[in-house]
Order: sequence, then structure tokens, then C-alpha cells
Amino acid sequence: MSNYASPEEYGLADLLCCAASQQVQDNEIVFAGTGLPMVAIMLAQKTHAPNLKLIFEAGTLDGRPPELPTSVGDARCETGASRSTGLFDTFSIAQRGYVDLGYLGGAEIDQYGNVNTTCIGNYLDPDLRLTGSGGNPDINSFARRTVFIMVHEKRRFVERVSYITSPGWRVKKWPGGEWVHRRELYGAAFRGGPSAVISTAGVFGFDEEDGHMYLETYHPGKTVDEIKELCQFDLDVSRVKGETAPPTKEELYFIHDVLDPDEIFIPRVKKA
Amino acid sequence: MSTDKRINLQQAAEIVKNGSSLTFSGFTIWRRPTAIVYELIRQHRRGLHLIEVNGGPQTEFLVGAGCVDIWESCWVGHELYGKYGANLSRKVAEKKILVEDYSHAEMLFRFTAAAMGAPYAVTQTSLGTDIHNPEYDVLGRAGKRDGKRIGKHKYIFTDDPFFDAGPQVLIPAAKVDVAILCVQQVGDEGTVRASGQLYSDTEVARAADITIVMAEEIVPEAYLRRDADHNTISSFEVDYIVECPFGAHPTGMFGKYDVDGAFLKHFFTTTRTQEGFDAFAKEWIFGLDHIGYLEKLGWPRMLNLRANTALNYKPRK
Repeated sequence: MSNYASPEEYGLADLLCCAASQQVQDNEIVFAGTGLPMVAIMLAQKTHAPNLKLIFEAGTLDGRPPELPTSVGDARCETGASRSTGLFDTFSIAQRGYVDLGYLGGAEIDQYGNVNTTCIGNYLDPDLRLTGSGGNPDINSFARRTVFIMVHEKRRFVERVSYITSPGWRVKKWPGGEWVHRRELYGAAFRGGPSAVISTAGVFGFDEEDGHMYLETYHPGKTVDEIKELCQFDLDVSRVKGETAPPTKEELYFIHDVLDPDEIFIPRVKKA
Repeated sequence: MSTDKRINLQQAAEIVKNGSSLTFSGFTIWRRPTAIVYELIRQHRRGLHLIEVNGGPQTEFLVGAGCVDIWESCWVGHELYGKYGANLSRKVAEKKILVEDYSHAEMLFRFTAAAMGAPYAVTQTSLGTDIHNPEYDVLGRAGKRDGKRIGKHKYIFTDDPFFDAGPQVLIPAAKVDVAILCVQQVGDEGTVRASGQLYSDTEVARAADITIVMAEEIVPEAYLRRDADHNTISSFEVDYIVECPFGAHPTGMFGKYDVDGAFLKHFFTTTRTQEGFDAFAKEWIFGLDHIGYLEKLGWPRMLNLRANTALNYKPRK
């Protein structure tokens, strides 16, 4: 496998970007948020998924930006798009069921894939108010699959998130707050849920029946025990397939020479 | 009868009263009516109720300056130039502001309902999340749900009565006193031509009781009416118009200028404390008018942000 880059040729952000890019298949309709997901999805467009359709939440449908947008509302999102419109269209399209895949992030995640981007501590008297939900729960509610990209720290992979901003596989049924499977709650709108977590330590999947997270691959240089120790919940490591594939030389070329030459989201590895 | 809708920045800000509910055009760090927002701060407006599809620098300016009592929205930050709204976080910690969280799609559908003249919208988004936790109805807990401008409930849970599609959530229309938009062109009778992504501009303009449009330029209506299918908002939906070049700075405007990322990053990193915000406001808001602000920014900085008119953005090389 000589096409794979050697460890000194890539950084952690490259590895995450490439792992995220692998989650999309050709011809899929994808919702991409600001940051690394944007690079990942455009990388897939340049490599194995040239016909994917890209939706930017702020209002562009099937866009082909020639230069990396710095956010989903960026003027660059509109270039080459099928339509330039607004949030009513993008969210209606999502609720209507067109979206195959969404890329999202979060500050905390639990074993069922419930994600928090709202606050740390008690919501009514928080230790820290965060940025808020944005479209995280909306994309996650309506897409067939969602991929979360996260920093892996023990304080982030928790038994219970401070606040469920975005719904995982087992969620709370309001007004009572009983825990139920997502399928039960979403009725006709049920299409799927979180399908992968790509953390700075490994790649994780979910058992769609009982809803729990399991380790799929560990990143080069990490061990299964180390990753287990980085979770506050009891991580299922019975389905580990091996090591996360490193980036290929072609992927690194696209990331650094074509998509993000100015290192807006993905820094180059500094040569020693 | 005069059909002249032209006013200046000071008059525009005066339309927003203490205690008004207010919303804006744009999306996060794009097409925000900053020049009027600065003027609201100069006029020491207080007790505002911001209802926003999403927040951004305009939220942070108003919240930091103490103008806002209630913020109903889903997100605030400066995208890659600042990960969260540090001024909002500080005011939440100090219990100086009430925050009501809805999801992004819920906020959009709430404005859509108001724009349709409907009392509520129905959706299945965000089921199972704490956004729907009854304990977290902040305006209800504060006794603000009067059933007049603020809905009697944050949510109503129901089941689809027509097709048995399962649980649904009813969310109240976003009733708002004033919408302030910031666009590329407005005609002298109020017809708006916005370009690029339209965000939620058409919905917020129609939802509000009073709609003020600040534009880079005011153009003859006849020019816009030659291609009516290119227009975004109809003349009679707009009550007042203001001409204000570079009025969105430091946020960006499609086809005109990019986001001033350095400005936002500086704002984010220096205004985490109230002292930091006050120093920013002293330097960039108080004691300046819009022309003074542009002079302080200077030509080199503004030229460096100017979009290429063929590409609609400033190419990086």
C-alpha cells in the first residue's frame, strides 16, 4: 500500500478529514457545516464521490465552490450552485427527507450519540454557556446518517451530557422525559441517526437496535485500552476492525494544494 | 402624499424603542445591519427582545452593550473567527439576560409562520432533545408568556391528526416589532434586490410589523422593475429605507465585500470581559458616526475586503 502517506507526512487533522471523507458515497445529498467537514466533503467530491450534492444550510443547493468557503453563509458557497436561496428551502428539503448524510460536531457526547453544544453544567445555571444548537439537531433529526467529528477527551465522552442538543439513538420523550428509542419518537420521520463518530482517537459506530456506541478503528499510535480509558461510559470494543487507514498521498495533495492551501481549517505538517 | 421612505441611520435606530422586539437579515457573519446596530448602542437603547433565526456579531455588540434583556434564538458566535458568543455567555453567567433556546429549523419555521399570518408552525425536528424539556421554558419560568407578543407556551406536543405520522411539535409564530435588513440594493419605493444566498430575509421582513431596509445603494425603482423576477421583497413590505455603504462591516456582503475576519477575531478575543467590551465600544462605537468609523478603518483595509464583481467574493490569490 505505497500510496498511503507515512506518519511524518500527515497530521491529526488530515487523518480526521480523510476518515470523514470516506463516510460519503457517490450521488449522495450531503449537508456540510463550517470547518473541517467542509474540507472533507469537498475532498470526497474530488476523489471517490464526484457526483455528491452539497447543501449549505444558509441557502445554496448543489454548490460547487471553487475556493473553500469560510462558513456556510459565505459568498463562495453560491458559485456553480443549482440554486441560491435560503433557509426555508434547505430546512424544508431536509425535513422532506432528501438528505443522506450530515456532518456535525459537539462539545460532549454520550454512549447513545446524544450531543451537547449548548452549555456545560446545569442549563438553568450553567458553568459555561456555549454557542447553542444551530442546525445540529435539525440536520441530525432528518438525515439518514450523521457523522460527528469531535475532540476526544474523557470530559467530552460522558455518561450523561449536560444538555441533549442533538438527538442520538436513545432520547427523551417529552413532556415526561422517559428514555425511548429514537424510532419510537420520530414516527414517519424516522430515517436513521448518528452513524459514526470520528474523534481524535478513533472511529466509532452505533448499534442501531440498542443504540450504543462501539469502537470500530483506532487511529495510528492509539491503543484500544487507551481509548476505553478516554470514555466515561463502558465503551464496547468487541467489534474493533483494526487501525484507521492513514491518508493517501493523493488525498493530502487535494487537501493542501487544492482545497485548503491557505490552511484555513487544516494546518500543514511542519517539516522538521 | 409622499411615498419617500428614505431615512438616515439615526432615524432608523429611533424607530426601535426601549423594550422593542427586533430581528435582522443575514446569517451568522454575513449581511448584518451593523451600522444601525452601532447606532442603537450610541442611543443607549435598553430592554430589547432579540428574536433571531441565528445570532452573530450584531447579537454580541448589542448584548455586550447591555441593550438586550431577552434573546430567543439557536446559535451565536463568529464562525471560525470566534467559537461562541463570549458576551452572551458572560451575561448568562451573571443572570443579566434571559435566553430561550429553539433549534435553527424551529426558529426559521417560527418566522415562516409569522410571515404567513399563522399562529404557529408544526415540525418534527429536534424530538427527544432538551430543547423540548418543559423545565427549560425560560420565558415561562420568568412569567413572560402573556399570549400577546410572546406565545402562551414554548411548545405544544401533539400527534399528527391527519395521516398518523406520529409525534409533532407546535411552535409559536415569531411575532416581532421591527426587522432591520442589510442588502445590496433597494429601490426608492422599497423593492429589495438581494443577491447571493437569501438566508431568512424574506421571512423576517414579512413577519415584522415594521421593516427597515438598509442598502449599499438606493436605486431607481424603474431599474429594479425591468426585471421583477430578480427582486426579493416587494415594495409595500418595506416601511423605511436607508442608504449606507459598507453598513454590514465587519460582516460580509455577497458581491460587495468579504467578512473582516481580523476585526471579528480581535473583537472576540478582547471582549470576554465587560471591561474589554467597554474599551471596544469606546474605540469603535461611541464618539464616531458611520463615516468616522469608515475613516478609522481606512481605505487600505476596505479595499482589501472588496469583492471581485465577477466572482462576488475577494479571491485569496
